[in-house]
Amino acid sequence: MSLEQFKNRSVGTQTYKMVDYEPTPDTGMGRFQRVVSRTFRGELFVGLYVTMREMINALFGGGMHTTKYPFEKLPISPRYRAIHDMLRLLESGHYRCIGCGLCEKICISDCIKMDTRYDENQRKEVTEYTINFGRCIFCGYCAEVCPELAIVHGQRYETASEQRASFSIFDDMLTPKDALGQQQEFDGFGAVSPNADDNIKKTPLAY
Amino acid sequence: MTARNNKTKTITVTIDGKRCEAQFGQTILDIARANSIYIPTMCYLTKVEPIASCRMCVVAVEGVEGMILSCQEKATDGAVITTTNDEIHEQRENIMKLYDVNHPLECGVCDKSGECDLQNKTMEFGINQQDFTARDQHRPVQDWGFISYDPALCIMCEKCVHVCNEIVGDNVLAISVGGYNSTIINTKQGQECSNCGECMSVCPVGALVSTDFKYSANAWELEKIPASCSHCSAACQMSYEVKPESIANHDTKIYRVTNNYEFSSLCGAGRFGYDFGNRGVEKDIEKFEETLNAFRKSETISFSANITNEEALIFQKFRERSGVKLICSEARAYQKFMNALATTTGHSLYSGDLKKLSHSKGIIVLGSRVNDDAPMVKYHITMASKRKRAKITYMHPIEDPSISNIITQFMKYEVGSEEGVVALLAKTLLDGRELPVKISKYLSDLDVGNLSAESNIGEEELEQLAKGLLKKSDFTLVVGADLYEHPKAENIARLLGVIETHSDFELIVVPPATNALGVSLICELDDEALGYTIGYNTKGDYILSSMGGGDMDMPALNQQEGSFTSIDKRLVPTHVALPYGGYVLNDIMNSLGLKKKYTISYTKQLPIAKGYSQIEFDSLPDYFDIDGSEHRGYLLENEKVPKRVELADISDLPTYDGVVIYRCDTGSQFSPFTNMTEQLNREASLRGSSQFATVAKLDDGDRVIFEIDGTEYQRVFKIDTSMKGTVAINPTYDMGLSSTSVSYYRFSKSKLEKMDS
Ligand code: SF4
Ligand code: SF4
Ligand code: SF4
Ligand code: SF4
Ligand code: SF4
Ligand code: FES
Repeated sequence: MSLEQFKNRSVGTQTYKMVDYEPTPDTGMGRFQRVVSRTFRGELFVGLYVTMREMINALFGGGMHTTKYPFEKLPISPRYRAIHDMLRLLESGHYRCIGCGLCEKICISDCIKMDTRYDENQRKEVTEYTINFGRCIFCGYCAEVCPELAIVHGQRYETASEQRASFSIFDDMLTPKDALGQQQEFDGFGAVSPNADDNIKKTPLAY
Repeated sequence: MTARNNKTKTITVTIDGKRCEAQFGQTILDIARANSIYIPTMCYLTKVEPIASCRMCVVAVEGVEGMILSCQEKATDGAVITTTNDEIHEQRENIMKLYDVNHPLECGVCDKSGECDLQNKTMEFGINQQDFTARDQHRPVQDWGFISYDPALCIMCEKCVHVCNEIVGDNVLAISVGGYNSTIINTKQGQECSNCGECMSVCPVGALVSTDFKYSANAWELEKIPASCSHCSAACQMSYEVKPESIANHDTKIYRVTNNYEFSSLCGAGRFGYDFGNRGVEKDIEKFEETLNAFRKSETISFSANITNEEALIFQKFRERSGVKLICSEARAYQKFMNALATTTGHSLYSGDLKKLSHSKGIIVLGSRVNDDAPMVKYHITMASKRKRAKITYMHPIEDPSISNIITQFMKYEVGSEEGVVALLAKTLLDGRELPVKISKYLSDLDVGNLSAESNIGEEELEQLAKGLLKKSDFTLVVGADLYEHPKAENIARLLGVIETHSDFELIVVPPATNALGVSLICELDDEALGYTIGYNTKGDYILSSMGGGDMDMPALNQQEGSFTSIDKRLVPTHVALPYGGYVLNDIMNSLGLKKKYTISYTKQLPIAKGYSQIEFDSLPDYFDIDGSEHRGYLLENEKVPKRVELADISDLPTYDGVVIYRCDTGSQFSPFTNMTEQLNREASLRGSSQFATVAKLDDGDRVIFEIDGTEYQRVFKIDTSMKGTVAINPTYDMGLSSTSVSYYRFSKSKLEKMDS
């Protein structure tokens, strides 16, 4: 729609369709007659029929539309930003996070904290990682900045719990080792773009 | 740093259309920086001579063929300089591309990330692909002890090599040349270098990093607390970098120490000895009352010189109020020495400082094992040696192999003969000078033959010294802690004053502890303790301790704000890096009647008569200018004092035969505070040459027990093959409170007893 159409405030020139109204009765008798005729129209039974049909269909024909929350949950968009997941490398099962601290730095609520150290294999080990969900505003910056696609937003949107800490421990956010097969790649903020391969420039190898 | 003396003439150059005034002899880069004009560099480090390994700093000079390296080219008057054009930009881009060839993509974990020159310049020049190729190879990380070297990250800028050679003077690092395979090699691998960490601090990338700090925090998470190093009298500029200890423990922890490495340096103690805070202290009102009572009944306060000027002033005010005696063994001898010196110089302070020392062409060091006593003095001597090709004479009873590469003449004198040595020195240095009758008579009356025989300083050696100094200018004489507690210290000081007044030598009297100079200026110190004594970080009947374990806790120097008086005669500020929950000295004194809101309220009250200025603590500056000039705190005024030259005749020099032990903290140790820290903590041992072992009838590894000045030492004896002579070195840094109460001539005869193992 172009802007011109919005700017045109001359209502009359537009194609309105007027609804045909019966004139409102102005005598007492006239009003009584209208009540009676509306009450005893067949439409009432049409309505009752439709309800009955849907009920039977739902109960016996498998046509129930209610989601039995919390036993059933609707799938949500991959771009939805719920409680974070920490992903693992599919090949080795090692957590992906390299402890670079970029998420910690970018977080506008300053709610990510991590402890790292130099481990026996000369790698940076993330010994502790936590998000304070009392402060997180689910902005998604952490997932976007992560160079390893290690921290992503998961699908867990129910954030009521006795203890918020139950969400924020590294091990709880990590994909369980035995569920590596079910680990989903994240499509939301910060994910690899569909044409990523085209953008990669190859390093010449002359030897 | 640019040497600027008055002889230089002013020139004008035009850089990118801007007219810049400069001194003749300044490089184009220096002038550009002083005028806030940006020229990219990768290898330039202000505190060393231009390295010229990167070629990033090229500029075009009108009328000159080709490109000019601005970091090493001195500007000529009227030059018209362009800092960038298409050709230069392309060259710089190519340099960056080459630096990035096969550079590991590990910024994510690299300690340097966030403050990395390579990252910054790669971004600046937009290098996002690798056009060149080179076969990569396995280059494992090397562990050098305190420092780790990752050759894969090294860009061969050579800053580390230059700083190690030109400033530290250890000549440990070298370049192994081999094109793309070039690396830095540590020629002392296996043994220890002085572990100063200077190389690591100047490394522009993550190639040299602290082994302890590695991967424990990111640069941007750390908060920098500006401070002055509290370990020795150089009081070097530094920042404590702090962050909560961990997710579970939110206590502030010092992760590392950094400094303004472009202009200043640190030694290993400052760099790695930072975790000496007194932690976990809470306010205990009963203890506090007990402390107040102790103060009320005290007749003496004894303290170590590792305190701030403000604390020293608090003690002095308390003395004025209650008449207690003030004892500071570390500073008392120094104070007397300085007072005696002032009688012949007519000035309250000595004339030299570290910067002048680094520009000197003739240097004499006397009475100090300077590499261990005052590393910053040694650094500045190294700079003089490397840049000015200075003649450096080291006079000491023990040869020090760690400085043999910078000294030009070693003069070994007999232990105890310092007075004679100084007299001979005065005679040599003042030879042929116009002198007051009294002094020239005193010098000509000296029995040179006898002094020379007793001190073992040959007349030829002195002639050689005099000859070496001919046709040179800028001289510094550095004297150290061996002299202050010498039985004849005052006469030695007066003689030195005569040398300072009548020769071209500037004098540095190295303060023997962090704030010995400050304490000696601020406090009226007494000689003898009397009655009930409060010990502040030293022995006493009631102990206030910042090492923990005393009767009352006190904050350590990284938990306090205040100031020190440094060897440069400069008041420098320091700030609180670690929180402290207990009472501080000012709380105690407030309850005893000295009313001041904060400890730093005293900064403004430091004695003007002693050269201090009336400046609030919060208005003290703390930075370096772009040209390297220091704006930390302020310089003390050198006040005029009454002059009265009275030199004592030199009677027979004392002799020290048999087993002689020298008190000296070696290897980045200065005090119990350095030894408290995790990285520096080390068992102390008695070290001597194999010759000493023979004289003392000891074997390597023997446990010995001996007593010096009332303190008993139990030590493992180690033969140090680098040492010579018959004097052993005994550190005191592990002796806790008694190591700050020593006050005896540093050499002592002693009886060693072997312990059964
Ligand atoms: S979603 Fe936003 S607020 Fe929450 S942790 Fe990530 S960056 Fe911080
Ligand atoms: S940004 Fe990613 S890799 Fe880096 S610390 Fe955060 S989760 Fe780990
Ligand atoms: S040295 Fe610099 S560029 Fe190289 S990995 Fe480390 S931070 Fe990145
Ligand atoms: S730590 Fe100091 S002495 Fe050792 S290699 Fe580095 S600069 Fe040289
Ligand atoms: S180790 Fe660092 S300072 Fe030394 S050459 Fe390599 S990059 Fe430069
Ligand atoms: S800065 Fe001039 S060559 Fe590196």
